[in-house]
Formats: sequence, C-alpha cells, structure tokens
Amino acid sequence: MDDIEAKIFDIVAKERRLDRSTLSRDTKLEDIEIESVDLVEIIFAIEDEFDVDVPQEEDAFKLETMGDIVDGVRKLIEAKQAETAASGE
Amino acid sequence: MHRVAITGLGCISPLGLTAVDHWRSARDGRSAIGTITRVPLEKLKVRVAAEIRGFDANDYFDHRIVDNLDPFTQYACVAAREAIADSGLDLAGELADETAVITGTGIGGAVTIDVNSERIYGEGKSRVHPNTIPRLMPSAATSQITMEHGVTGPSFTVTSACSSSNHAVGEAFWMVRSGRARAAITGGSEAILTYGSLPGWFALRVMDTETCRPFDRNRMGMVLGEGAGIVVLERLEDAQRRGAHIYAELAGFGMSADAQSTLEPSEEGAAKAIRRALDDGSLPPEDVVYVNAHGTGTQANDVNETRALRRVFGAAADRLLVSSTKSMHGHALGGAGALELVITAKALDEQIAPPTANLTDQDPECDLDCVAGMAREAALPGALTNSFAFGGLNAVLALRRAP
Repeated sequence: MDDIEAKIFDIVAKERRLDRSTLSRDTKLEDIEIESVDLVEIIFAIEDEFDVDVPQEEDAFKLETMGDIVDGVRKLIEAKQAETAASGE
Repeated sequence: MHRVAITGLGCISPLGLTAVDHWRSARDGRSAIGTITRVPLEKLKVRVAAEIRGFDANDYFDHRIVDNLDPFTQYACVAAREAIADSGLDLAGELADETAVITGTGIGGAVTIDVNSERIYGEGKSRVHPNTIPRLMPSAATSQITMEHGVTGPSFTVTSACSSSNHAVGEAFWMVRSGRARAAITGGSEAILTYGSLPGWFALRVMDTETCRPFDRNRMGMVLGEGAGIVVLERLEDAQRRGAHIYAELAGFGMSADAQSTLEPSEEGAAKAIRRALDDGSLPPEDVVYVNAHGTGTQANDVNETRALRRVFGAAADRLLVSSTKSMHGHALGGAGALELVITAKALDEQIAPPTANLTDQDPECDLDCVAGMAREAALPGALTNSFAFGGLNAVLALRRAP
C-alpha cells in the first residue's frame, strides 16, 4: 500500500467511523453504506489532503470500490504533477 | 377559534441545559454572564458574554449528523426534543401532518459563516466543507426538527433580529388558534458568539463591558448570550382531554413596526405592540401583573420600554412586576424571546416573578417595580413578554395563567 492509498483509506475510515483494517481495494462503497452525502464529504477531504480538484464532470457517483477511488485520485495527482512539470520548463 | 395551551418546554441556555435548570437559575437570580472563553480575547473590546457551558453536541447527535449542524441548529433540536418529551404529545399518525414547526433566528449559522470566512480569507484556501451551505441557512433548525420528529405540517423560519422568536411563536400561536395547525413546535435559537461578529457589536456602542444591568442608573448596555427555547403549543381542549400539564395559556400576540430608526426605539411602536397583544388576547390590562421585559440594559431601551408600559397601563403600571432576565441569560437575539417565554410560562405556572439581577441603583427614569435581586411570589393571572428589535420590529406575547 503506497502513501496515496493509505491516506485515502484513512479519510474513508474517518468519515464513516470504520476500523481502517476492514477496508481493502475490493471493498464496495455500497457495502460500507457510503451515501451521496458521505461521498461529497469524502471528495472534499481528498481535495483538501492532496490539493487536487475532483472535476464536477467526473461522475464520482459511478465509483464502486475503494480501489476505484484510489485509482481516480492517482490519475488526478499524476495529471497535476505533469502540468506542474510542463509549466516549470 | 381555539384557546391555545403551552404544554411542553425545552431550553439550552447559559443558565442550564434544560428548561427546568434555565428557569431555576433565573428564578434564583443567578447570572451566567462572565468572561468569554470561546474565542481569543486579545483584540476584543467586549470580553463578557453569557455562554452555554458544558454542552457537547456529541452527547446528543449521531456522529454522521453532528458535523452537519451549526450550533444554533443543535441547540434548537435539543430544546425541541425536551419540549416534545415534556408535553407528552405523541407525534405519530395524523397529528404529525397537522403540526407546525416555526422557529426564529436572527442570523442563522453564524458559527459556520465565521469558520468558512476564516478558511477563505484567513487561510487562503479555495475549498470549504460541503456541509457549509446546509449548516448556515437560517431555516436549518426548523428543517432538522421536522426530520427528527417526522413532522410534516406547515414549517418555516422567521427572522426579525431580536424579535425573531416572538414573531415565530406568535405566528405558530395564530395557526393553532385558527385551526390551520393542530399543534405547533415553536421558539427560537441563536449562536452568535463568534470572533468575526463580536467587533460588530462593539461598533454599535451598545455593549456593557462588565455585566448587564437593566433599569440601573449605571447600566452601560447589553451583554450577548446564546441558546434556544422551544415550546409545544396545542389546543387547550386537546391538552385538557389528555390530561397534559398546562404551564400557561398563550392568549394574545401583538406586533408593530416603529418605521423610524434602526437603533433608536420608539415609545409608541412598543406601546402599540403591547396594546395589540392585549387586544388580540382579550386580556384586560388589570389581569397583567408580570412583564418579562425586553430589558436589554441599553440606555435607550430601558427608558423607552418603561414609558411604553406607562403609556399602555397608565397609573396601573405601578402594580406591574417587570423583570429583565437578560441580566442573567444575556441577549440571545433571535433566541431571546423563546428563552424568556419559557421563563414567563414557568412564572405563571409557579406564580413567581423572577428577578432582575445586577439592579442595585435604579434609574429614576425606569420607575417601575423591576423586581430587583430577588424573585417575588405574587398572584399572577397574566403576563406579557416583550421583544423590540433593532430596526424597530416589535413583537409581544400575552399569556394567561392555566385555567
């Protein structure tokens, strides 16, 4: 588990008051009763933690598992890093 | 037309976390005014307030919901639970559909607005918590009460600065009286002790820097408070049929606008609201003995209110027992009227007029019996509770002793 994944698990565990060790990449959001209101709070916490913007057009409500969240966030971070590198040249 | 009974009381206030404690402290003349503990004081010129102590929202709300509620909503919800339980009213079935929820607040989610502004302006962040808007809307308290109790009748929030509670209760009272609602959960709430808003109060130059001394020659102004009061109203005949305890009858409601000044009160505006409350309740002036005054402790209000009472009651004003309980629970703005309604209902229930605290050298211009220092047992057939807001919006409730 890398740093990004660990932090996301922390965020979800905190938002849903779950024991972090019960979460895995395969955990279905439905099974841990993530409702839309929880999801907007989780997105907020992720944006705050990683300083990324989850775009409105990104349909966050299609996410099914913890792994989907991690992969989505990783993509956003990579895109941001590429942008920073490009602007730095 | 139905007569209307007050059958449930609930409170979260600087004087206590229940209606019983709130009343007992007021009756015993114990003031909750002290040095502010919640915000840094270095830059503040106003350092005293009446703060709620010992309230932990986690004791009352599930962790999934607590962060979504501004303190003004938390206070209102807890007070509503107490009032409903106290009334013994079973809000299931048809009654839930016929019950109104009407609350007042002067600002709404002031704490949330403050936290949000600090994040954006102070910390330079670009994002705020997604619960920000649902927390700060002034109607949040009413919404949350309807959700907690499954009440689906007419429900909304009223705002008129310091008169918000009385306007809310008055409207709810008229609904029950006219039959448009069978019962009502009503009152008001406020949580305004924020770092960002306190300097605004000082700028008005109406704040006392030590304590609140209504009707006293040495009064310097008001002291802020906070909290929520909620009452349950229902038809008198319903309350009697089910054998509920009736604290008092809510008899009349009067309102007026000064149409004059934002800060200077008007004698005739206040008198008009008092007169209209008496007329609305067909309450003969001689039946009013206790008056819970607006009594902010400002130079302007206390003299103006004294004169307004004299204008309505004439020489008979000398037999009124007039107390300002803001000397103890502070001024909770939109919540003030409700905190004072709970006290007024208990005053009629126990036939005891609570005192005005910190009144040691009465201003000759406030020449009424202001129940200095100690509560007074007396025959109290009826009472008034006054709210006169900045901006000149006045709302007065008239109560009768339970039949």
